[in-house]
Amino acid sequence: MTDQLVERVRDALRAVIDPELGENIVDLGFVYDIAVAGGAARITMTATTPGCPATFFLKEGTQAAASAVPGIVSADVTMTFEPPWTPSMIEPAVRASLGFAAVN
Amino acid sequence: MIGASISRWTMSYFAMALAWLFLALSLMMAGVGYPFAEVASPDTLVLVHAVGIGWLSIAMCGALFQFVPVLVAKPLFSEKWALPALVLLTAGLVSLIGGFLSLGGRLPPSLWLLPLGAILLVAGFGLVVVDLGLTAWLRPAGPARFVLAGLASLCATAAFGAVFAFALAGWAGSAGNALLAAGIPLHAIAGLGGWLTLTAMGVSYRLLSMFMLSPDVDERQSRMTLGAGALAIGMTVAGGILAIGLASGLSVVLSIVAVFGLASAALYGRDIAGIFRARKRRQLELNMRMATLSFASLAATALLGIALVVTDGFAAHIGPFAFLAVFGWLSGLVLAKLYKIVAFLTWLETYGPVMGRAPTPRVQDLVAEGRATKWFVIYYVAVWAGTLTLLVGEPYAFRMAAAAMTVGVVGIVREVIRTRRLADVASPVRLPGGAIAPHLLFARN
Repeated sequence: MTDQLVERVRDALRAVIDPELGENIVDLGFVYDIAVAGGAARITMTATTPGCPATFFLKEGTQAAASAVPGIVSADVTMTFEPPWTPSMIEPAVRASLGFAAVN
Repeated sequence: MIGASISRWTMSYFAMALAWLFLALSLMMAGVGYPFAEVASPDTLVLVHAVGIGWLSIAMCGALFQFVPVLVAKPLFSEKWALPALVLLTAGLVSLIGGFLSLGGRLPPSLWLLPLGAILLVAGFGLVVVDLGLTAWLRPAGPARFVLAGLASLCATAAFGAVFAFALAGWAGSAGNALLAAGIPLHAIAGLGGWLTLTAMGVSYRLLSMFMLSPDVDERQSRMTLGAGALAIGMTVAGGILAIGLASGLSVVLSIVAVFGLASAALYGRDIAGIFRARKRRQLELNMRMATLSFASLAATALLGIALVVTDGFAAHIGPFAFLAVFGWLSGLVLAKLYKIVAFLTWLETYGPVMGRAPTPRVQDLVAEGRATKWFVIYYVAVWAGTLTLLVGEPYAFRMAAAAMTVGVVGIVREVIRTRRLADVASPVRLPGGAIAPHLLFARN
């Protein structure tokens, strides 16, 4: 049940996009961890640029999307820049469509 | 909140800056000021200050109010100072220009407008410097150091300018008159080379890395670039004032400044080439492609300067040299980045609050690059053609180049207004539930 809920949260997070790259944060590899316990979701995520105003909206958007999942009563999002995000974290198919070299 | 929010008045600064740019272009098309008048004539002073303060400085301040908090990942010291600063800068510039018109006999004698303008401008820039300086000081590393050096240069530029304004009104005594007689190059170098160029360099490091997903420039590397630039400006101010005090002429000081300035430009070129090489986004957006034309203009300005010095023609051709630096390098970069910044901020303002709740477009969906490209190309080609007309002494052809520049800028501004109005966003995601269309001239936050 918990695993299903984690997957439902992950799917919901696909509604959140990085405005610059234009892809959702799950496929971009921004979501480092999703844990659900007793209806409380804990999400650890990153972004490309610390300090950018978009980072704030990504965090807020993630929290809103996770909170809307049936069965989730609270969502807590932690933004981290460790480890730093790199394009190697992008889903391979999306990476190719964005024009990133595979070696990156 | 992590870092920065949306600066409420950045769009207002951009709009005011563009209004001054249109005024300056109108003057150039009408043949007011250089090359139809001497470089130091009152008409040219009107033109130079409309561009240097009205267009470039106000646009730069607007960008910095948004960008310095991003550089240091801390909120702006005071958001409340931005609007009063814009009002003071605008009133000060109007007064200063009134004073220049009076100096040239185009207005009844009212030279007191010059010191009044200087006081208002010093007050306006003072608010900007304290606000941005206290913010950048929170984490004075990397690009923020360039901004701090730029702000220090702005202080020096404003101080020189204020002394000149008082001297022109006859209120500055013999020391002020001596500074006015010999110090104008110091004012121009501190303004264009220190304030505008060092700041543009610092901001470009971060913007380029951010939008191309490139690693930040190595701190030791960029420190050398800044060091050479800061030495050039320090030499300009301290060495220049000393030379004027000793009545020894400025040629030695300006030669040293030129060497450091060229070194800084060359090191900057190396740094920028490194950012482009290391970028992870291979495809360049329009603003990046157009920024490369601005970097090429900076390189061309440096080469032109060297060629003019070698052929002993620098003093006679200071006009085309400054024109290429101001319109090719600085204005080109500001226009290219303004095109991107407006789209990015408009996206954040409109779609940031509804993200995760509704489908949202990408930043690139707010712009139509294919349509905008031609306006940038027209602008740059016109600037380069204008530089040539000034070099060969064809002032009437220069007016045609100014008209072509105006066509390019009108096209770019039209695109920016369309971005702000979300005119190019497809209707299903244009205004999702809960999203509010942005105001043209300020952020609604």
